Amino acid sequence: MSALEQPQFSEARKAEIARLVTRYPGAQSALLPVLHMAQEDFGYLSMETQKLVAETLGVRLMAVREVVTFYTMFREQPTGQYLLEVCTNAGCMLNGADELVAHMCDALGIKVGETTPDGMFTVTEVECAGACGGAPVVQVNNVYHEKATPASMDELIAKARSEGGAA
Amino acid sequence: MTTLYINEEEITVSAGTSILEACRSHGVDVPYFCYHPELSVAANCRMCLVEVEGWNKPAASCCTPVAEGMKIHTQTEAIKKDRQMVMEYLLINHPLDCPVCDEGGDCRLQDYAVAHGASHSRYVEAKRAATNHDLGPFVTTYMTRCIHCTRCVRFADEVAGTGDMGILNRSDHMSIAGIVEEACESELSGNLADICPVGALLDKPSHDVSRPWEMTHHQSTCTQCPNGCDINIESRGDEVMRIKPVEGSPEPWLCDRGRYVYDAFRSDNRILEPEVRQDGELLQATWDEAFDRAGDLLRGKRVGIIFSPYWSAEGLASIRLMRDAVFPDAKVAFDLHRRDMRPFAFEEGFSMTTQQIEDVEHVVILGSDLRQRLPLLMQRLRKRGNMGKPVSRIGAMNYRTNMSISSDAIIRPRDWPAVIARAMQQVSDLGQTAAGMDTWLAAVPDRHEAGKVLADSLMGETCALLVGEEIRSHVDAAALIHGLDLLMRACGHAEEGNDGRNLIPEGMNAQLLASAFGDIRTSAGDLFASASAGELDALVLIGSDPVGDGLFPSAAKAALSKVPLIQIGAIAGEIGNSAEVQLPAAAYSEVDGTFINMEGRIRVARQPIRSIGQARPLWKVMMRLAQALGADVPAVDMTELRDRMAAFAPELADVWKDKATEEVLVPVARNRDAEALPARLDSSFDLDVVSRYSMYREGMWARASDLLLAAGKLHALNDVIMHPETLAAKGLKEGEHTVRTFLGEHSCHIGVREDVSPGVLFVAKRGVAGDLSDVTAASIVGGQS
Ligand code: SF4
Ligand code: SF4
Ligand code: FES
Repeated sequence: MSALEQPQFSEARKAEIARLVTRYPGAQSALLPVLHMAQEDFGYLSMETQKLVAETLGVRLMAVREVVTFYTMFREQPTGQYLLEVCTNAGCMLNGADELVAHMCDALGIKVGETTPDGMFTVTEVECAGACGGAPVVQVNNVYHEKATPASMDELIAKARSEGGAA
Repeated sequence: MTTLYINEEEITVSAGTSILEACRSHGVDVPYFCYHPELSVAANCRMCLVEVEGWNKPAASCCTPVAEGMKIHTQTEAIKKDRQMVMEYLLINHPLDCPVCDEGGDCRLQDYAVAHGASHSRYVEAKRAATNHDLGPFVTTYMTRCIHCTRCVRFADEVAGTGDMGILNRSDHMSIAGIVEEACESELSGNLADICPVGALLDKPSHDVSRPWEMTHHQSTCTQCPNGCDINIESRGDEVMRIKPVEGSPEPWLCDRGRYVYDAFRSDNRILEPEVRQDGELLQATWDEAFDRAGDLLRGKRVGIIFSPYWSAEGLASIRLMRDAVFPDAKVAFDLHRRDMRPFAFEEGFSMTTQQIEDVEHVVILGSDLRQRLPLLMQRLRKRGNMGKPVSRIGAMNYRTNMSISSDAIIRPRDWPAVIARAMQQVSDLGQTAAGMDTWLAAVPDRHEAGKVLADSLMGETCALLVGEEIRSHVDAAALIHGLDLLMRACGHAEEGNDGRNLIPEGMNAQLLASAFGDIRTSAGDLFASASAGELDALVLIGSDPVGDGLFPSAAKAALSKVPLIQIGAIAGEIGNSAEVQLPAAAYSEVDGTFINMEGRIRVARQPIRSIGQARPLWKVMMRLAQALGADVPAVDMTELRDRMAAFAPELADVWKDKATEEVLVPVARNRDAEALPARLDSSFDLDVVSRYSMYREGMWARASDLLLAAGKLHALNDVIMHPETLAAKGLKEGEHTVRTFLGEHSCHIGVREDVSPGVLFVAKRGVAGDLSDVTAASIVGGQS
């Protein structure tokens, strides 16, 4: 979806939201799950998407903005097709997360937080992913890759490239 | 009630009070930033910590309710240390730039840093950077100074109702932000600078021009709308620098109109000395020369007098005394928005106080853009809304209120009789009626569904009916108001002690105007017509600008081209160009005087600012004029004048004799026998014209204020607006059109909005719409399709 287009929820989404809202005392309480849905549908939460959520739930745009900017898992900028989120919290750091990030960035030719020019990969650092047993952890879109190594990441990147972006 | 001990002293407060409020009400000083008596509790600054015996940590007093037997200490060593730490923390990111900050000298943060802080900080790391915001024409921001108390956010949410401020991000990145394009949408934005406890939000117009300690304070009354707020005028020398609300007065806020009109006091548009026209040019003259000339133009002549209601009660009364002394046959007009001069069943003014209106079961607004008309009453209604109490509305437009209206309907002015009849029908079907209701009902053949909104609101025990300008300026206003009166009687809302009939007046002092001028008032339109027809020899305008305001601009222009104008007032305005003589009268900030607001509340201003130029209080000018015209001076001093005035409103005398103003209200005029049945209004025009009031452009003072004019531009809608479907039904769309009225044909740009009632031509009173204000109906002859 281009940023200029007006985002719209599908009919199925609208029905789902309507159902969801009935589970809470007020529509504003459904804000978090609806934002997640919007992010899933539109890839990120543009200002237009935030307005759509505000209208859908009948809450003020500012209330939506406050929540979106508070939680780091909500993204206001588009990301690459593959979002590589490396945990750099204590457990992963001790197991080489910093070197891992550095390696991945080198391999992709970008800095942390950036997206490759072809729009395929974005690398970010995140706080504890809750999988310290498998440190270091890299979350690729919604899938955890535990005990990640520079080699396993090279492999993953190569595989993604060869699939030509079919996520 | 709960009994507790503060610093060993036993006190009793009502249950549920917070510790902080208990302390405040008993004169115990507890420092705080985020708490504000008018806002919800956020408890985020931690400055208000106190010690509660038996608790193992300090308590935030603003959010801790009192409990029976609680022992509170506000001055222990531990608490002092805590406060010191909180101060150190709050100042971590603060730039410590008091010497260049407007707030300096009047700043909570500065005061507390001295009283409770340590003299140095241990913090040596980098300070947070912040982005400033555009919060409209009246607020400037220095966000580095922000302490994140969120008062501004809660103000926008709860008071202004715009909710366009918020906190973005979190922790060290946290910042206050406004949604920039919408941030200036509040008519109360000027309060933001007052509410910010530090110098982060500052007053833009007075930014970098003065220091708090240079100011002299003058308590007075704002006369820019009938609300008559208490104001604290801050001046440096004779120059007004700011207007601020008065602590402890009924309204803790001021609207932007009342606050920023002050630059009109020193505008080029003021009449500062007597002037007389010579060879086509207004030239400065002495008072004697000016009075001589006025005498020549007025002596023995048939004169029409039009004045504005914003003068003090003394000024208004002196107009009557002058008129009786020298023009005993002259008719006067003071309401530029009234077409129907028959007496109204309930005249202009409120029978309830704003507090009662906030508290009643139901409020219904009929035909008023209340947010523009009475911004602070609207704020009270918003407060109701926040508590879940209903507010309904019927009008020609879904005027913006910044609150959610419980039920509403848009109608055309010609529908009012059918709306009221529909409501009558509903209540009488329920067995509630009043003498005369059947006759009224029988005179109206149609019923309009919007009447249900009205009738439903009347069903409770108490109801406040707020009747606005769409009805007050209706050609058949007396009949409509009679109908509403019957309805209110039928529903039991017209009894002593439970009277919900409120007619929003044109301006201040409505109760006094009714009693002092009721017998001689006429419509301004009629006066202009007489002047144009050669039945008058001169017009005297006292602070009134019928060309710039009101419903008769073209009639006024026609009249002024026929007869000479004697202008008396503080502001010349456009109309000054036609004056033969101008006599300066002092501004409301510059007089000792009495003011009555819409509730009947009396205020006496006693510390005026010195008049600039040669302006004199209006009553002195009036007395001099009477003398110049050869009459005995009706009152030689203020005491004599006030003695004469007591006849118009005896309540005033009580207040002058130092009776507490809280105990006196001037009652509204009632005309029980003002029976009027709705007339059948046949019109060859298919559109109803409704003229829109703008708080930024209405009134001579507002138009002389550059600050308000600039703000008005931001808030302006198209000058002429219609519902898109009404245009579409004629095969037309937004664009240039020719409008036909009884005045002829007129070409203008018509914009469209969905929230205007179909069948209505909504016009701004100024600008390209200009003369359309004179008419009540119009048709479109052609234009862009
Ligand atoms: S700008 Fe002022 S009022 Fe708003 S949060 Fe900051 S310090 Fe508080
Ligand atoms: S609400 Fe009316 S009286 Fe109060 S400040 Fe505004 S204009 Fe003045
Ligand atoms: S005043 Fe209590 S926490 Fe701010």
